[in-house]
Amino acid sequence: MASFLGHSAALVAALAVLPQLVGEFWAYTLALYFLYAIASLGIGLCWGQAGFLPLGQAMFFGLAAYLSGLSLIHFKDSWLLLLLLPGAALAPGLLAYGIGLLVFRGRTLSGPFFAMITLALTLLAFQIANSWNDVTGGFNGLKNIPGLPGLSDFTDLYYISAVALAVCLLAIAWLRRAPAGVLWRAVAQNEQRVRFCGFAVQNVKAAVFGLSGVLAGIGGALYAPQQNLVTPQLCGFILSADLVIWAAVGGRATLYGPVVGAVLIGILTADLRDEISYWEVILAAIFIVVVLYFRQGLMGFVEPLFERLSRRRAPRALDSPARPQASGDTGFALDDVRVRMGSVSILEGLDLAIDGPGIYCLIGPNGAGKTSCFNAMTGELPVRSGHIRIFGSTRTGNAADLLSRIGVGRKFQAPSLFPDLTVAENFNIGLWGGRARLRDLLGMRSHGWTSAILREAQARFPFLAEEDRRAGDLSHGQRQILELAMVLIAEPRLILLDEPSAGLSQTETQEVIEAIRWVSGRLNASTVIVEHDMTFVRELADRIFVLHQGRLLASGTVAEIQADNRVRAVYVGASA
Amino acid sequence: MDPILTTNILNVVYEVSTLAVVVLGLAVVFGLLGVMNLAHGEFVMIGAYCAFFVQTQNLPFLAAVPVALLVCIVLGLAVERILVRPLYARPFDTLLATWGLSMLLREGVEAVYGRGFKSVAVPLTDSIDVLGADYPSYRLLLAAVSIALVAGLVWWFVRSATGRRIRAVVNNPELAGSVGIPVTALARNTFVFGCCLAALSGVLLAPLMPVQPMLGLDFILKSFFVLVVGGLGSLVGLISGSGVIGGVESIVSAFFDRTYGYTTVLIIAILFLWLRPNGLFPRT
Amino acid sequence: MQKIYKPISRRHFVAGALGSGAAVAAPAILTGAQAAGELKMATFYALSGPGSLFGPTQTAVTKLAVDEINAGGGIGGRKVTVIPSDGGAPPAEAAKAAIRLMLRDKVDIVVGSHDSAVREAIVAALKGRVPYVYTPLYEGGECNPNVFVTADTPQQQVQPSITWLAKTLGAKSYYLIGNDYVWPRKTNEQAKKYIAAAGGKVVGEEYVPLGAPNKFEDAVTRIKAKKPDLVVITLVGGDNINFNRTFAGFGLDKSIKRISYLLEEQTLAGIGDKSSNGLYSAMSYFENEKSEANAKFKAAYRKAAGAKAPPLAMIGVDTYGGVNCAKALIEKAGGTDAAKLMAAASNLNYRTPTGTGVMTNRHVVKDMYLAECKGTSFDIVETFKAVAHGQTCS
Repeated sequence: MASFLGHSAALVAALAVLPQLVGEFWAYTLALYFLYAIASLGIGLCWGQAGFLPLGQAMFFGLAAYLSGLSLIHFKDSWLLLLLLPGAALAPGLLAYGIGLLVFRGRTLSGPFFAMITLALTLLAFQIANSWNDVTGGFNGLKNIPGLPGLSDFTDLYYISAVALAVCLLAIAWLRRAPAGVLWRAVAQNEQRVRFCGFAVQNVKAAVFGLSGVLAGIGGALYAPQQNLVTPQLCGFILSADLVIWAAVGGRATLYGPVVGAVLIGILTADLRDEISYWEVILAAIFIVVVLYFRQGLMGFVEPLFERLSRRRAPRALDSPARPQASGDTGFALDDVRVRMGSVSILEGLDLAIDGPGIYCLIGPNGAGKTSCFNAMTGELPVRSGHIRIFGSTRTGNAADLLSRIGVGRKFQAPSLFPDLTVAENFNIGLWGGRARLRDLLGMRSHGWTSAILREAQARFPFLAEEDRRAGDLSHGQRQILELAMVLIAEPRLILLDEPSAGLSQTETQEVIEAIRWVSGRLNASTVIVEHDMTFVRELADRIFVLHQGRLLASGTVAEIQADNRVRAVYVGASA
Repeated sequence: MDPILTTNILNVVYEVSTLAVVVLGLAVVFGLLGVMNLAHGEFVMIGAYCAFFVQTQNLPFLAAVPVALLVCIVLGLAVERILVRPLYARPFDTLLATWGLSMLLREGVEAVYGRGFKSVAVPLTDSIDVLGADYPSYRLLLAAVSIALVAGLVWWFVRSATGRRIRAVVNNPELAGSVGIPVTALARNTFVFGCCLAALSGVLLAPLMPVQPMLGLDFILKSFFVLVVGGLGSLVGLISGSGVIGGVESIVSAFFDRTYGYTTVLIIAILFLWLRPNGLFPRT
Repeated sequence: MQKIYKPISRRHFVAGALGSGAAVAAPAILTGAQAAGELKMATFYALSGPGSLFGPTQTAVTKLAVDEINAGGGIGGRKVTVIPSDGGAPPAEAAKAAIRLMLRDKVDIVVGSHDSAVREAIVAALKGRVPYVYTPLYEGGECNPNVFVTADTPQQQVQPSITWLAKTLGAKSYYLIGNDYVWPRKTNEQAKKYIAAAGGKVVGEEYVPLGAPNKFEDAVTRIKAKKPDLVVITLVGGDNINFNRTFAGFGLDKSIKRISYLLEEQTLAGIGDKSSNGLYSAMSYFENEKSEANAKFKAAYRKAAGAKAPPLAMIGVDTYGGVNCAKALIEKAGGTDAAKLMAAASNLNYRTPTGTGVMTNRHVVKDMYLAECKGTSFDIVETFKAVAHGQTCS
């Protein structure tokens, strides 16, 4: 908090004295590039934080500029402007949020498709702006837009832009440090894990995109009164591309990167385009080199140093709120479930039911449908026919984030966590899932959340208490255990574990077995484990289900299964 | 048949077939390498400038074909080695890097030839009577060559040993590598081949469009839309996609005007990207 | 401020009375130290963007005009220095440059030849504080204070040419095609008026987006179906070239005449001799204009700009009149005071390549020419004397 205030004061002071240092003309020039920089900040959020690249940000900048220009022309000097101008800045945000919800809905992979959709949309926006002569003024644009009432001097324009930039920067600086920022970076690294922690990823991404729309909107809404002219190029491909280049070269993942990129490259371009005929070629080459070798951009070299100096982790002093629906029924049932992929049949009428707490193991030869059974239960594979009931209600095809919120936890075969986040941040995503409300995600206090399960897990596995380590730096076994702990701190009633002992040493396996036994009893949960290691199964399983060719072959206690000739035949057949 | 209707039909055939050749190059590279080469349109542009260059040297029009192929083989090899190969594991960065490349090529050509429009003389200026409609013979020839080219390549792809290898790599690169198919070389050759196909289209289309540095932008967008509509990586998809995008634009333009044609294509593409991102004929 | 941000170098050409005449580059830091009394003229020409093929001519013609003025003692005794800027940049960039020229370089006058969007941006930036002369043909209606327009207006291009073509060719049916923005629409407004006056009929009117990669097969097929006598073309740049080549490619040039209202020597070269049959153009300058004044102008230009001189074409040559208009304005007003300049603009005579222009209502009454394309050159078939500009700026 103190460092945030210090940061704010330094930023405001720097922006305030700048015009005195550089004079009227440069103040005017900076005023324009500050507006572009605000829009570029939005790209930093989407691309540098949440990991998806919008290629059509100019569409929002242009939309806001037209709305603001039209408002100023038609309601010159009216008090309505107090509503209309903020409206012009917010409208693109709403549009972006809507587009985000539609595009991200039900889609796990958003990468290039999202980028190309936004590119196509910006081309469409340009066409509309260019052709709708009656409203937009067509190719020549909206002209003679009045300035903001009461401001005429170039320095006034500078201060408006500077204030807007400072406010946006401080808001983003706050968000980046807040749980929301951690969540965005988690989305960029592993959308699936975020969903299994109970967050509706599409809403998170749509919100980030909406926020980037607001940032572009603020830039655009101020552009109209500053330049007194709005032309279709503001919605166009070139400005969209420039905004991305500025963010990339300046450093997309850093706070100041997009601003440095926009101001530095923008001013260099404006000055050098007349002087160096190959300037645009040089700029393109710089961009390629940045993409190839310097993905962190200019500020990527500088900013992490300061962040490391200033960042101290909040102590875990606050018990997290309890998860809603933390207790109740723990049973589930699969009824004649069929799943096909292409022409391959994966589950062929699987029936499987559990009605109370306990530890259950799913075994079967490779390709029997064990992992597919989990995938069908958590909505990762489309179910063609049959029903899935969890905790007494029909949950066929429900999304993972919803299931997580009602108390289903899942650990994957290969550790699925957030390698570039610290252990603490990995835990936090697990703690926040299903518990944090919007205001918890925007405030700083929830960084200090803890829970009894977390404390006990850290006591059992001391490396989990070294919370400042990067999760990706842990050993394979440690990552398995970290993921398991993340699943457990969400306090699920149904725990699905896919080969939790894979890649673990003998001692680690033993520790995991104990941990599972402990947590299963502690949470009074149903734990279902897919496992090949028969020692593991023998030690843990209250009951065993044997799957073969997408169907349930047998079920029973360890002894019953060991005595079952059909099971033996399958294993012998499979290994022959 | 009404000569105007005939002319309109021939316009659609011309637009769809020439578009299909451009897309074919992009689709082959995407299918095999999983690389969306956003500089594909710039290779079309370079082909067109080769035609212009050959004209300024007073050489016959067809001399542009070897010149363009040579330029694009050299360029394609360099790009594959420097930009594409190091980024195989980072598809998103490939998108950006080839996008940067497209700017580089565009601005590079602009630095040499300027932004102005260059014109390449049409090699055949007479017209042919098709069912009562007078149609320019170069356009007819171009449509015929395009159809033959696409058909020939499809036949080659299905029949030849190289075609089989390519399909093997598409299906399972690791397995293909382990059975001795030189995956790296095949990927490199495919990339260069895609570039050459673009350049060839550029040469052939040069007489029928104003040659200027920005022309590639339109081709890459339209080609991408074709892939989106048709589905990535299948030939049926390629042809149906070209048909939808090229056909809709021509037909809407013929009945209304270009603004509507252009806007309709954009809207169709956006709807597909949103609702059916795997296209009409998704790869299984 | 200049000490902190020293621009690398900004090209200036100072054409001395002693007449080296060569463009010399001087670092901007020196501009502050220039001799008092020098008159700084900022120019906005298309150095980049789609119009940049006109840039070299604009620059070369302006240099000739400035050399001549300086050789004759400058403007009101002050030597002229030119500070060039890019009029082909996006409007916001052009506005920024205009502010820089006004605040930092303190220019006395601005001359511009670029599209209307950039003009609006410059007008908005200058806010009448610096006089501004706008030279290329445009849609009309620019009446902002302290702005002086030497451009051809739609009234001047359309009225005499359509009337003449209707009479001489006996054209009855007309097809209008243009880019979708204000200049083609305003021009076609005039065209429809005079087509109706001549008893003709418009059988089709269409607009294609500006800046989109247009193709014209469908438009040409529509024209083929309508069989008009004359196609009125208000397409610009690449679209103009592409349309005319497609038109001739489909063989329509054999039976249908065309007039294009933005067709000068460079665009015609792009269209090519195979596609220019039956194509007309109407403007206030063609290189082939046969007057004695033009012969002198061309000779002086060739001498000054050398063998590799950029081609003389309307967009480009317009700046010669613009610079001379600036001279006449400042000399008649006795300075650059806005009110005095506005007063001086009525009945102001100034030098143009083909003779003299007369400014009234801050626009110019001028001679217009109608030319028919012969291969890639123009053959003037009719001269219309002192055509009114139809503008009513006070």
